[in-house]
Amino acid sequence: MPGTILTLLTLLCILPIQAAPTGRAFVTNERSNSLSVLDTDTLELIQTLPIGKRPRGIGLAPDGSELYIALSEENRIVVLDPDTLQVLRSFPAGSDPEAFAVHPNGHIYISNEDDARATVYDPRDGRQVADIPVGLEPEGVFISPDGKRVVVTSESTNMLHVIRVPEHDIIKNVLVGARPRAGTFNRAGTVLYASSEVAGEISRIDAVSFRILRSTRLDEDRAKPKDVLLDKQEQRLYVAGGRANAVFVLDPESLELRKRIPVGKRTWGLAMSADGSRLFTTDGVSGTVSVIDTTTDSVIKTIAVGKFPWGIVIDD
Amino acid sequence: MPPIIASMVMQSTPPVPPPGYGALCRALPVLCGLLASGPALAAEFHFYYAGEAGGALLGARQGAAEARIQGRFLGQDYRLEKHPGEGTLPPQGIGIVAAVPAPALLALARAHPEVAVFNVAADDDALRQSCLPNLLHVLPSRRMKADAVAQWQALHPDAGVQAQAWHPAFVKFAARDLNKRFRKAHNTAMDDAAWAGWAAVRMSADLIARGDSQDAPGLLEQLRTALAFDGQKGEALNFRANGQLRQPLLLVNDGGLVGEAPVRGKDLDSLGARSACPSP
Repeated sequence: MPGTILTLLTLLCILPIQAAPTGRAFVTNERSNSLSVLDTDTLELIQTLPIGKRPRGIGLAPDGSELYIALSEENRIVVLDPDTLQVLRSFPAGSDPEAFAVHPNGHIYISNEDDARATVYDPRDGRQVADIPVGLEPEGVFISPDGKRVVVTSESTNMLHVIRVPEHDIIKNVLVGARPRAGTFNRAGTVLYASSEVAGEISRIDAVSFRILRSTRLDEDRAKPKDVLLDKQEQRLYVAGGRANAVFVLDPESLELRKRIPVGKRTWGLAMSADGSRLFTTDGVSGTVSVIDTTTDSVIKTIAVGKFPWGIVIDD
Repeated sequence: MPPIIASMVMQSTPPVPPPGYGALCRALPVLCGLLASGPALAAEFHFYYAGEAGGALLGARQGAAEARIQGRFLGQDYRLEKHPGEGTLPPQGIGIVAAVPAPALLALARAHPEVAVFNVAADDDALRQSCLPNLLHVLPSRRMKADAVAQWQALHPDAGVQAQAWHPAFVKFAARDLNKRFRKAHNTAMDDAAWAGWAAVRMSADLIARGDSQDAPGLLEQLRTALAFDGQKGEALNFRANGQLRQPLLLVNDGGLVGEAPVRGKDLDSLGARSACPSP
């Protein structure tokens, strides 16, 4: 018995202290320079606060204690307390910071859209950790579950750049369909998915050899895919369909279309609740967030937010 | 025209550390610069520009500079040089960007039948009926522009608009980024000819990057049959059988951007005449 207690105590010391989740979803509104705060339980808008010029990328610290927002036209990242919504600090984040991903070690990997670079920052002190030349219009950033690979898409060079951590060198460049925008790894880190907006394509890629295993073109002219996300059981791949005004549900293996969920206009961003029961979309032109119940894959609520909602992150 | 020297397209881009040299490069950037031109250069491709200095030339230079950025990840290099005027192109010659009037354009296309000749300056409808398989019209034809205006005016009866391939205030579909890069590099706004010059080089380099076309005849074949080019106008672009690039157009009123064509509900083939030329 004392042994068990000791083990528990030891575990408590080893595990990072998680900040209590706020139960909120945070949405950047690119054209109203604001942040919308939603209650993920009641699905109501709680608050809208001015945040700075052209907010786009958004993410949480690994322990949930801090919220990061990229202000593209201010060339910096602002750090908020997700609970009090107070601005804690901000730091310069290179030219035109757009999308970013937070590494399990706490570092922020950013695409600097107008500078053909990916940069890495330590948000604790704003120090630049690395600066990596990539292709034109870098956009999507996603990180392997073990943290050893960071993938940056360059939209106008049509590539996924695979960056090794901690070396921060590019070990592979994968040519995909025109205008790659976003991607995600599976939980095992064996496969990744990427969207190509202008080609209307989704690619399934081996995460060791980085060979394209399969690509599929969404069979709808207006389908311009952006965010992609796996469901919790990894049985479904959700794709934000852009101008198709729908979320596409694909089989993650065959990439065959299973379902089409109509949402607001120009849907770009996706985020999943921690329990996997709800999928949130940002609908740019409509200025809404659509909430999808993943048991039925249908919209249960549409929440009005600011102009051109871009990024969304859930703190639950 | 002023001589076009290769160094003009060699915009300085930071060296890419080869795999394994990241830490070394951080410690010794100079050494890294020596080591690190990325993968060993396997291939060099040359474009030739025919025409006066102007927007089209700046556009082609921008396209070549961007192609080099892509190429440095793939061991490919690109150059833009002055068209030699006579004789065949050297083996690295991959395409001709031509900002010349119709008669000179036809002569160029006939003189280099296996090389893609990109028309980036002439909008004559008759040129689109020449059916020369290597003559590719990146600029929209007069007819396409007239169709775009007619579509717009059917919805907005009083609007006096004109149609253009491009506009420096266009921001959608990352047009903002292209306009910004072009202005930064050349200190001037991107016009139709500049967009066309840029597009000619970029669409070629995108196909070359994919590895299916390593010489001029191969590239020409791919351009005519396998193109899905991101012209930063929101659609994947390709050529009609008559060599005309299908593309959205922008509607401009008094210098200001007011809309896009095709209008909602119409497709890209609603702009311009049907091709009367045999399919490739």
